[in-house]
Amino acid sequence: MTTIGIIANPASGKDIRRLVSHATVIDNNEKVNIIERIILGAQTFGVKKIYVMPDSFMMGYKVTEKLELSGELKVDIEILDMKIKASPKDTQTAAALLEEMQVGCIVVLGGDGTHRLVAKSINKVPLIGISTGTNNAYPKMLEGTVAGMAAAAAATNAIDYETYCERDKIIEVYKNGELVDISLMDAVVSDEIYIGAKAIWDLKTIQHIVVSSCHPASIGFSSILGANIKIDASDDFGASLKINSGDNHFLAPIAAGAIVEVTSEEIQKIELGETFYLEPDYKGMIALDGEREVGFEAGDRLGFKIVRNGPRHVVVERILESALENGFFQR
Amino acid sequence: MKLSNEKILSMYDTMLRIRKFEEKAMGLFAEGEIPGFVHLYLGEEAVATGACANLEKDDFITSTHRGHGHIIAKGGDINFMMAELYGKETGYCKGKGGSMHIADRSKGILGANGIVGAGHNIAAGAGLSVKYRGTDQVVLCFFGDGSTNQSTFHEALNLSSIWKLPVVFICENNGYGISMSQDRHQAIKDVSDRAVAYNIPGVTVDGNDVFAVYEAVNEAAKRARKNQGPTLVECKTYRHRGHFEGDPTMYRTDEELQEWLEKDPVKRMQQFMLDNDIASQADLDQKGAEVDAIIATAVKFAQDSPKPSLESAVENVYSDIVEEVKVR
Repeated sequence: MTTIGIIANPASGKDIRRLVSHATVIDNNEKVNIIERIILGAQTFGVKKIYVMPDSFMMGYKVTEKLELSGELKVDIEILDMKIKASPKDTQTAAALLEEMQVGCIVVLGGDGTHRLVAKSINKVPLIGISTGTNNAYPKMLEGTVAGMAAAAAATNAIDYETYCERDKIIEVYKNGELVDISLMDAVVSDEIYIGAKAIWDLKTIQHIVVSSCHPASIGFSSILGANIKIDASDDFGASLKINSGDNHFLAPIAAGAIVEVTSEEIQKIELGETFYLEPDYKGMIALDGEREVGFEAGDRLGFKIVRNGPRHVVVERILESALENGFFQR
Repeated sequence: MKLSNEKILSMYDTMLRIRKFEEKAMGLFAEGEIPGFVHLYLGEEAVATGACANLEKDDFITSTHRGHGHIIAKGGDINFMMAELYGKETGYCKGKGGSMHIADRSKGILGANGIVGAGHNIAAGAGLSVKYRGTDQVVLCFFGDGSTNQSTFHEALNLSSIWKLPVVFICENNGYGISMSQDRHQAIKDVSDRAVAYNIPGVTVDGNDVFAVYEAVNEAAKRARKNQGPTLVECKTYRHRGHFEGDPTMYRTDEELQEWLEKDPVKRMQQFMLDNDIASQADLDQKGAEVDAIIATAVKFAQDSPKPSLESAVENVYSDIVEEVKVR
């Protein structure tokens, strides 16, 4: 049976960056609307069953009820059987369940932080990311209907989806030789000592930035490198940059509407498989994909290794172009 | 955002004062020492502490029926508070208001309030006064999730948005309006979603993390002081006790309570200070003893204070119809 999964983070798009930048609130009703369109897109193109992560806003139930009342629901929807913790753990648990079930594709609604959590739990099942977060370098702004269609194309095996997915790079984060976490796009070393509101925004507290990819069209902390160099997802290297010292002065969009002047030293490339080390003489936090996550002590040896062992994401345009050539739309 | 150790220790002192004041009030109420109702703030200490740590003495707050924490965090006098709970003449309301009506204009405390949702428009009014006078004061308006279904919430956010009033609306979302779970009283989970309707920023933070609350309210207060208007900050938290003392809490499970006890904001703060060498266990023990002494002094002050006289029964109750009431 052709199946897909949907993970929508009810907490994305609501953090403190609404105050410190010009980010907008993405309310959960809008996420319900997006899920609805994913389902309609997917069921039309052959998906028979859709698993949805349960959440405190009950998005899956709301969509099911709405589509049943309108008579448009043709697919079997099942809310994943898992206990809700109302914490980031939910996303990881749901992703692990969907990976275990080997659904054909997972569609994720959230920001970089949400996708990082999914990346920690999946390896084989391909994913499609839809941006409903704040600083989104990884997921894209994508219409739900199109995401549903692309997920269907990936899941139905009507085409060779292996060819139309790409394996992502990630940054493995080590502390004193032990792997402690990963990030998808960027790891930021800061001298802040508490997690607080999680998001990081104060440039003065940041010492180093490590990225797996960066682009001048991206936003968030990877944009600081993206304002100097382009590193595609397909490039077999990442980079690091020390900021707040050096002679390089430039502008970068570190958050929605927040374009700031940055001073930095020279960019250092990090080849795939190579580890970049730091031994800060201060206590601090490492922010992963924009959120303070890992604390460290002065003198700890921090390692950042670029590896191509992340999730496999669907290249939506490419898979639908292939679908077109293969008569996917013909009836 | 960086905080000095001095600031962190000061915030811990406030949290501990609230915790120990409430624990004492709980015990005294159970012993029948305190008349009336008490609605305890146990478990929500990080919200009032983190929020009020951003205020100056001349800034304002409005509070709720669960107001002890807000008043302590804004600098209210613990002796006068305890005396008020005892119904004594030395209390904030001369013993006639009890727990739910404590106010101290000299410290910008515009009152706890027994009416759910009544603080929203008082805060908007205070914000209008700030705007009219052209000062850089800010108003923090504390309220619960249940009150966000009241018209006052919407009226206050609407007017504050239109007039760009310097008000930070702080929703203490503890998951229940009395015994009604949030799932049953509103069709949203994050109260911050409601900010969109009024074209103001809305954020949700962990209300049991004093630093998360501090950071969010710090940024919101900066906006307010710069004439950029109001903000809605939702703090997800939980009350360890029932809605009021005596509430059997049949509407929630022991498992749910246990989960939240593990996220106890005071214990988290203590662990943070130990982990970061901001305080040793001996320091924490000493601080605990100091605060115990402060609370014991307040209890003695209250116990030793006289009750209001019978002749004063209607004094200070109504401001302008005392004579009429006397005639009746």
